[in-house]
Amino acid sequence: MSEEQYQAISQAVTEGEDEDAGRLVSEALAVGLPPLDILQQGVIAGITQAGELWKVNEFFLPDVILAADAFKAAMAPLKPHLEDADGGQHGRKYVIGVVEGDMHDLGKSLVIALLQSAGFEVIDLGIDVCKTDFVEAVKEYQPTIVGLGAYMTTTMLEMKEIIAELESQGLRQGVKVMVGGVPTSQEFADEIGADAWGKDALDAIHKALELVGV
Amino acid sequence: MANQMLELVQGLLYGNGLRIGKLSPTGRVFAMMLGKHGDTIPFMGPQIHDHAMTVARVPARKYYWDAKLLVDVQIAVERWYGFDTYTIIPDAYNFEVEALGAKFIYSDDAMPTVDTNDPLIKQPGDLDKLGPLDPSRGRIPMGVEAARLTCEKASGPFAMGFFCSPFSLICQAMGYPKAVRALKRDRVFAQELFDWAENQAIFPYLKAQSEQPGVKQSSGADAWAAFPNLTPEMVDEWVVPSAKRLAARGKKELGITVMAGLAAADYCEEDPAKFDKEIMFKCWETARKTFIMDVALSAMGRTQDWPMEWLQEFAVLNGKGGRKLPVYASLNGRFIRDSSPQQIVAKIREWIDILGRDGRVLFFIANVPADAPPVNIHTAIHAVRTLGRYPIAEDLSSIEIEPPPFQPFDEWLKGQPEADAILKAREWKPA
Repeated sequence: MSEEQYQAISQAVTEGEDEDAGRLVSEALAVGLPPLDILQQGVIAGITQAGELWKVNEFFLPDVILAADAFKAAMAPLKPHLEDADGGQHGRKYVIGVVEGDMHDLGKSLVIALLQSAGFEVIDLGIDVCKTDFVEAVKEYQPTIVGLGAYMTTTMLEMKEIIAELESQGLRQGVKVMVGGVPTSQEFADEIGADAWGKDALDAIHKALELVGV
Repeated sequence: MANQMLELVQGLLYGNGLRIGKLSPTGRVFAMMLGKHGDTIPFMGPQIHDHAMTVARVPARKYYWDAKLLVDVQIAVERWYGFDTYTIIPDAYNFEVEALGAKFIYSDDAMPTVDTNDPLIKQPGDLDKLGPLDPSRGRIPMGVEAARLTCEKASGPFAMGFFCSPFSLICQAMGYPKAVRALKRDRVFAQELFDWAENQAIFPYLKAQSEQPGVKQSSGADAWAAFPNLTPEMVDEWVVPSAKRLAARGKKELGITVMAGLAAADYCEEDPAKFDKEIMFKCWETARKTFIMDVALSAMGRTQDWPMEWLQEFAVLNGKGGRKLPVYASLNGRFIRDSSPQQIVAKIREWIDILGRDGRVLFFIANVPADAPPVNIHTAIHAVRTLGRYPIAEDLSSIEIEPPPFQPFDEWLKGQPEADAILKAREWKPA
């Protein structure tokens, strides 16, 4: 029975059926299935499958959006139980935000959903985040990685300033910096001294895992 | 002002082998579109508003509010580079939702941007609260004036007003995820959204543009409908019919040509490992349905990594009368920004070899980044002018191309008709 429930949760997440995903997770919890198993075999399996389908051109962005929604819906009833079961997070912190002057957060939302599914504790600074707030967050949370997003060719230049500020405050050595967003590129990431560039949400997760040695 | 009819006739004749006189830049485009080719491959003006602002060093808070400055800056910068046509576009995605009350943020050095965290449409009921767009609100009067000035100063076949196409407008009003969810999950609401976008938000703006002298056409960018944001099937189902409705209403009620859905289905897959010929062909096929001219279009995608033989094959397969479809070959803006002049020349050499030998191709740059080095753009134009001279040299690799010498913008600007407006704007301070 439990296998069938995990499979149903996984399928609901993959297919972006958010109401079903949330309901099925609640039902699985209600019958006493272990939260970590629900997470791994149901929710993460589902979002991973969506990612695999994306890689082979069977899923497109609308499908991934719906899967990410369903992932969030599935995580809502699960999260309090996971904190009980796992003693909190997995020790990999990721601070993420969209740089100052930029309000576009689609990519960030997808990256956050996938980072969480990969076991990162994500601190979301939101959009239009100034340089000082990024630096303060690095000081406060001491993340493994800080992720900077931008959508416009004007605002992306702020990323260079943030990295320079981390350098000047002696914080750069202790944190990896990832950049992403439509106007960014590997060349731009290299030029501003970032550690990695995520060309899309799935690539960002792949690079983040590489940076933490997974 | 050049006589467009003469340019058109000369281009038509020239492109079909009757090569009389020296082609004008616009005539060069006509020759490529209506015949086989002109004297050289044309280089069309790109979407350049951020970059032009940066080159001209004018403040964003003035530039994006002052129609004359916006038009003058783009005309000056595009002329400095030497593009064959002007493309003058502001932050076209923002005007309608801003006037309808969407929350925006404004900055000193970037275009206005909508706050999708506090969207105009949070739930279906919000649609009823949004009355028709009042063309006196927000920056709509500036947009209308920019359309008039563009048609007056730039003229030619690419002079037009602009608007935000329905799907992109819906994304601006409620965020892309919710817009996509509506299309996938709630067809009735999705149809209401398109109806609202077309008739309540866009049409009043088009009407105001149509009342300006000289504005005979308006184009609506739709980058949110590019692939993979939407699949070509979704574009066919939602965007193409919407574009047709707007075009029909514009023609019937306003007497202007309305082109919505531009860049819808543009193939923007970022991962070369995922490039898929079948999907690309579907995208190009769908894009043809929203473009007023029948062309094989590349625009914002990662074209530097495309197998351009596929685009050539598509153009040849879909051509008529023994001629391929005209190809719009877009150099990716990030490629132009991030590459060396030598890499840019090498790419242009490769593309001309594949796409240019049988004519019917033009080059442009999709959305020039603010910080693209001007030398790279000058080099791209110089390379196309040199390598793209007809008849195309048999061995393009034997032609050396060096970055051309060019006057710095400020030196060039002296004595130009736009100099006064640009120099005054640099002194401008917010009240």
